[in-house]
Amino acid sequence: MKEEMVKADVLCVGGGIAGLMAAIHAAESGAKVVVAEKANTLRSGAGATGNDHFRCYIPEFHGADIRPVVEEVASSQSGWSRSLKFVHTWMEHSFEIVKLWDSWGIPMRHNGRWDFSAHAFPGGVLNTLKYAGQNQKPILTKEAKKRGVHIINRVMIFDLLNQGDGVVGAVGINTRENRFIIFQAKSVVLGTGNCVRLYQAPTPGCDFNRADPPSTAGDGRAMAYRAGAELVNMEMPRRWAGPKYFARCGKATWVGVFRDPQDKPIGPFITKPDRKYGDVISDAYPTLFSDYANSGRGPVYMDCRGMSKEDYEYMMYGLKNEGNLALVNHLGEEGIDIRKNPVEFMTYEFTTRGGINYDEKGETSLKGLYAAGDEYFGGISCAATFGWIAGENAAKYVKKVKASETDTLMRDIEMKKDWLTRILSRQTGVGWQEANIALQQIMQDYAGTVRTESLLKAGLSHVQRLKKKVHATISAKNQHELMHCLEVLNLLDIGELVFTAIMERKESRGKYYRQDYPFTNPLLNNKVLVCKQVRSKPALEWREVKD
Amino acid sequence: MPPIINNQKCTACGKCVDICPQDVFFGSERKKTPLITYPEECWHCNACVLDCPIAGAISLRIPLPMHICYK
Repeated sequence: MKEEMVKADVLCVGGGIAGLMAAIHAAESGAKVVVAEKANTLRSGAGATGNDHFRCYIPEFHGADIRPVVEEVASSQSGWSRSLKFVHTWMEHSFEIVKLWDSWGIPMRHNGRWDFSAHAFPGGVLNTLKYAGQNQKPILTKEAKKRGVHIINRVMIFDLLNQGDGVVGAVGINTRENRFIIFQAKSVVLGTGNCVRLYQAPTPGCDFNRADPPSTAGDGRAMAYRAGAELVNMEMPRRWAGPKYFARCGKATWVGVFRDPQDKPIGPFITKPDRKYGDVISDAYPTLFSDYANSGRGPVYMDCRGMSKEDYEYMMYGLKNEGNLALVNHLGEEGIDIRKNPVEFMTYEFTTRGGINYDEKGETSLKGLYAAGDEYFGGISCAATFGWIAGENAAKYVKKVKASETDTLMRDIEMKKDWLTRILSRQTGVGWQEANIALQQIMQDYAGTVRTESLLKAGLSHVQRLKKKVHATISAKNQHELMHCLEVLNLLDIGELVFTAIMERKESRGKYYRQDYPFTNPLLNNKVLVCKQVRSKPALEWREVKD
Repeated sequence: MPPIINNQKCTACGKCVDICPQDVFFGSERKKTPLITYPEECWHCNACVLDCPIAGAISLRIPLPMHICYK
């Protein structure tokens, strides 16, 4: 395996919305910046072909008082799991990002004005700005290059390099050529996105049919954990809903009413399509689709019949910008007219809502290590805003530290390289798909809808056993497969953590449910579960959320 | 399975190979019609169709299990 060394002040791992925004701001602040992207920043990440809602506070729309917006975002998005200070910082800086994006050519206005819609209860505080994000990634890539950011595409970073209590770089592979890359950096910003492919996909046999990009497989969380950084809320589940079998984000882009087979609206909020608020019953009642299906009252339809011509055009504009053109084309090819045909919706698979414990400065618990975006769920505006903030702070940090040498880490690096060579040279090993399916099966059956002590205990031991077998036998025929092998090994670490964290949270709360502890434990109010690796094992700690 | 390349129209410019987030076209060579090496890994994000400079040179076929259920 060929070896290459890349040096930078700030290394951004992942060139999605968070990573590019971090890179742009770090470069503007004077740092030498490298972005290492698993795919190509032009069309990578959860914003690859677009998004259409941007959560923000705009004074001229909301008025001078930011508090109602902060409270709304805190209650609908972060609940008890984020400090109000975090949400306040997010909203306070959101308009700055909106104006920047607008000036760079990402249309943030609809018909020339700030237009807020969806993601709100009727009469509630609207906080998602309708925008046209179809070309956000090419535009952000251009802005990064303009500032001298060096973008290296087709590189998967799989481990951080530590020295003392700080991070001094990372190692990765080229996903096309047999090449090993050592990154020497004073600071690292993680922005690798979601944690997809931990649980089974909605369609058996179509593992890449996912609402979020299947390439985002929890790499950041896993490498941060192995480097000793804190993760948080790993036990908390997150599930999206959307068109049945065609897994896609963008539920709030649909302008219609959720109805049962007899055309009766499911929720009390609306009785006819309303583009301003949408139908928030699916937010208020997250198990709606499975409850209706399991009790025989389903299916549940997204019914757009009766919508105005303007609302139809608005929805199509939204779907196009939300990256749902494949879906729009499919509807057209099949002769499905949403103005006439109600479409079935479903709840998609689980993943963890938790992730890297980063604060309102983008700082993690390790020196020099920053994180942003969906390293802890927050969506597009959270990614853009905290990417921006993390980039600036990473650039400030590198001015204070001396360049670290990775020489003392060479033995460790050589071991990692040898290990990759072994995976590539195994002739009769286990393929990544087999390992991934085995993990998903355990997650589904032992840490899925039913979560009890006996199941969790058994499931945890299954994951640990599987992990050992996979480490000893996994094999790759080429760099593409090697990338998937490393993803599965990351997912195995995360799976083990999810089990450990669920076993610690002996209660039910919001969307988190334990059949053997069906009550909410008031002693855990306002507390989050933090975990980090201590002596190769997960160590858990309950911590108060400070405002 | 997706995507499908129309050999008559494709100019082998390599745009789809460059941008595919899943690297479905892994192993493709420059100036040659792209190979669809990993069709089952397509995310149907539509980036290849969106950025292809020739209309109709590449299209997505949505697999049957993903077809929309409607009434």
